[in-house]
Amino acid sequence: MLPTLHDVLQFVPLGLAVGAVYGVSGVGIVVLYRTTGVLNFAYGAIGALGVFIAFDLINKTSWCPDWLAYLATVLVGGAIMLAYGLVFGPVFAARDPLVKAAATLGLMLILLAAMSWTWPANEVRAVPLPSDNWHNYGYQIGDIRVSWTKIIALLFALGVTAGTTVFLRYTKLGTAYRAVANDREITATLGVPVRFVEASAWLVSGFVCGASGLLLSGLINSLEAATLTFLVISSLAAALIGRLQSLWVTLFAALVIGVVESCLQAFSLWPTESQPLAQYRAMTPFVIAIVALLVLGRRRELTLSRAAH
Amino acid sequence: MIEVEGLTVRFGGVTPIDEMTVSFAEGNCGLIGPNGAGKTTFFNVLSGFVKPAAGSISVFGEDLLKMADYRRSRWGLRRTFQQEQAIKSLSVFDNVAMVREHSGGSGGSRRADVLDALDFVGLEIPSRTKVEGLGMRERRLVEVARAVVGKPRVILLDEPGAGLPDEETEHLGSVIRRIPEQLGSLVILVEHDMSLVSACCETTAVLDFGKLIAAGPTADVLRNEHVIRAYLGTEEQL
Amino acid sequence: MTRIRGFEIERGQAVRAVVIAGLFALALFAVPELIGIYWVKILTAAAIYSVVALGLGLLYGRVGMVSLCQVALLAVGAWTATRLLYGTELPFPIVLLIAGVVTGVIGIVVGLPALRVSGLHLALITLMFAGAITLVLSVIHFPNGGGGFLGQVSLGELQGGFRIIRRPGIATSDPAYYRYTLIVVALMFLLALWQIASKPGRAWAAIRESEPAALAAGVNITQYKLWAFALASFMTGVAGGLLAGNAGALSPVAFPTQDSIVLLAVVLMGGIYSLWGAVVAGLLVRLLPALLENWGVSIYVSLLLFGIGVLQVLATAPGGLADQVPKDLKRLGRLLSHGFGRRADAEGPAA
Repeated sequence: MLPTLHDVLQFVPLGLAVGAVYGVSGVGIVVLYRTTGVLNFAYGAIGALGVFIAFDLINKTSWCPDWLAYLATVLVGGAIMLAYGLVFGPVFAARDPLVKAAATLGLMLILLAAMSWTWPANEVRAVPLPSDNWHNYGYQIGDIRVSWTKIIALLFALGVTAGTTVFLRYTKLGTAYRAVANDREITATLGVPVRFVEASAWLVSGFVCGASGLLLSGLINSLEAATLTFLVISSLAAALIGRLQSLWVTLFAALVIGVVESCLQAFSLWPTESQPLAQYRAMTPFVIAIVALLVLGRRRELTLSRAAH
Repeated sequence: MIEVEGLTVRFGGVTPIDEMTVSFAEGNCGLIGPNGAGKTTFFNVLSGFVKPAAGSISVFGEDLLKMADYRRSRWGLRRTFQQEQAIKSLSVFDNVAMVREHSGGSGGSRRADVLDALDFVGLEIPSRTKVEGLGMRERRLVEVARAVVGKPRVILLDEPGAGLPDEETEHLGSVIRRIPEQLGSLVILVEHDMSLVSACCETTAVLDFGKLIAAGPTADVLRNEHVIRAYLGTEEQL
Repeated sequence: MTRIRGFEIERGQAVRAVVIAGLFALALFAVPELIGIYWVKILTAAAIYSVVALGLGLLYGRVGMVSLCQVALLAVGAWTATRLLYGTELPFPIVLLIAGVVTGVIGIVVGLPALRVSGLHLALITLMFAGAITLVLSVIHFPNGGGGFLGQVSLGELQGGFRIIRRPGIATSDPAYYRYTLIVVALMFLLALWQIASKPGRAWAAIRESEPAALAAGVNITQYKLWAFALASFMTGVAGGLLAGNAGALSPVAFPTQDSIVLLAVVLMGGIYSLWGAVVAGLLVRLLPALLENWGVSIYVSLLLFGIGVLQVLATAPGGLADQVPKDLKRLGRLLSHGFGRRADAEGPAA
């Protein structure tokens, strides 16, 4: 039984919100990659750790106000990213991007292990966000109620993308970012404080990471180490479609992925009740990424560089 | 005989090769010009790495640009690179054998052909040595051996003498001089070392800013005032 | 250099070959007698995963292509073999071959985008494929003896009750199956070795180091890249078939997406440039967690160790354990011989 358009539209707001979070993570990943050359696979894991810490602060302590716990998530994200960048950035600075990315896989495994051990899966946890309960429980569009959390998520994504674009193009530090992304060595000889640029990229990317983790966990109402860690794949899919370069394409791709994935929930009875299309919704980021890449195509570029190991 | 007609290459707002029309007859042909004149770009067009915007290239009567890039080696086109591209993880033998096995010819004579090529360039180290540990002289000779193995029809040598001390350059020169008569190949030699060009090439063409500015017997070309000006600049610039 | 039947083999290589043959014979005949059944099954799994690691090592170490979907392909091979073993009476080796070929074809499909991208982009695309394949599997489940294309029915409907996946007639017991597996695994390693030592291996080395040089040498890069994917996937598919026989029953949770990442981690730790590295990787990914569990340590510790291991190996020893351990042993040997030499000198004049 095919769902009606109205049925499908019910799922658009959540899709836009989740897609927005995928997008803002994607933007954070792309900016970090462009500036430091590191594609951070551990993005989801770092955010997840922050949310777990917030959970403990809210539920296991009596002195911590909620807003401080949320702030902690953001700060933890920044702290972990900065620490990794300061310690391992120089170690892998001269290696090729693949090695740098593979190293972050190591970080991801370490965090996943630490989280799974400290917060075993025997307990159901969640960190609900206060914006779910704000004024009227949301904004009414037609007969769909859109919670404030979702609106905040979308605005946050748009704001970060626009803000980053403006920052990179019009500010002095932003130009430094682009210079470092282009050629680290030459930029350093020009007197640009490369280490500072990179450190700030790690830190801010980490803040975005923490915030994304918090929003995502709140939107999907789940706090599980593995789930949150591997949602980074959706952000990576969006970043990949943006060719690890264009921020707006990344955000747009992420929104499409989020909306399609969410709307597929409406197809819970089609084509058959026992094998509905809806059960394949988690495949959305992969399918869209693969299709987009094959369609957009790419000329093979030959480089005369040697494989660095 | 290689005939280039109206060749033009454009990318990123630059025109590295501009309406180049030249013929390379036989034997050793020099190709010189200041840095950035388009010489390596020309080689890249011949190898198939760069697609020209216009023009045609015919090699021994066949349309080169219609050939798929990896097929050109089988046809008989070989080249060396400015930064040697000998495969470090393979042995000297395997490096040369690889070129030989991908360019047709019978499997039976493969081993003999490889050893002949190593002999021809005067490389006297065990062929099982990995390229990784070799010095520049040996690596350069491996590169040349890869270009001469089998019976290639055209050999492109891209600054094979760069950075070599004088004795090595002389040895290289003697190797290059023997190529046309012993292998029957047409050689295009790109070089900055004019002594090597004079010693090896009967004819030379000169590129400047992607355009051909002179072609003919080497001695004449090297005395041509346009050529000298291209390298040194005019009096006003000096 | 000694000449044996027209092949030139160095003395060192011949000695190494004999040592390897000896170790293999030991593993084949002696090991199952010495350890319990539980550990035999673990070692069988380790051998199977070493083939998967071999495929990944071939792709990354030899050709320079990172594939993060090898475990997903292992699942494809296992699924195919399971379906055939339940649904047909085909002999076990034929089932393994078919599983390998099917997985090889899917591997080529995954490899097609590889022709246009490289490095990081390729890693990401293969990760996408892994996720897609893993998801499809979690939806259609593994066959359990039922009919239809998917071969999966609810347990209540299963005619004759649940049967475990059958094994080859000559190797139904666990120790016998372990030996059967080792022989197939050895064949896979020989297959890889053969390809690396001949024309494809040279072409791959050229492609990995310098595509322009490969092109200029006449290598058809497309063809050889696809061949690498096909070969690695074929081997992984065969391994999947062996896995089906070892496990008796399979479920999608046995192939989580993160395992492809863990596999890359252990392959890096074991060493991507050497075939020994694949053996080490297989042992790391299957033996180590079992040992830890046996000693009462949380299984997450192995995940932690792999994470630390990846960082360590990438930072300091790109050749991995397979490269580092022999170097360390040599260094240790030199230290010891120095020590002995000095002591002998000290004693000598006095004696």
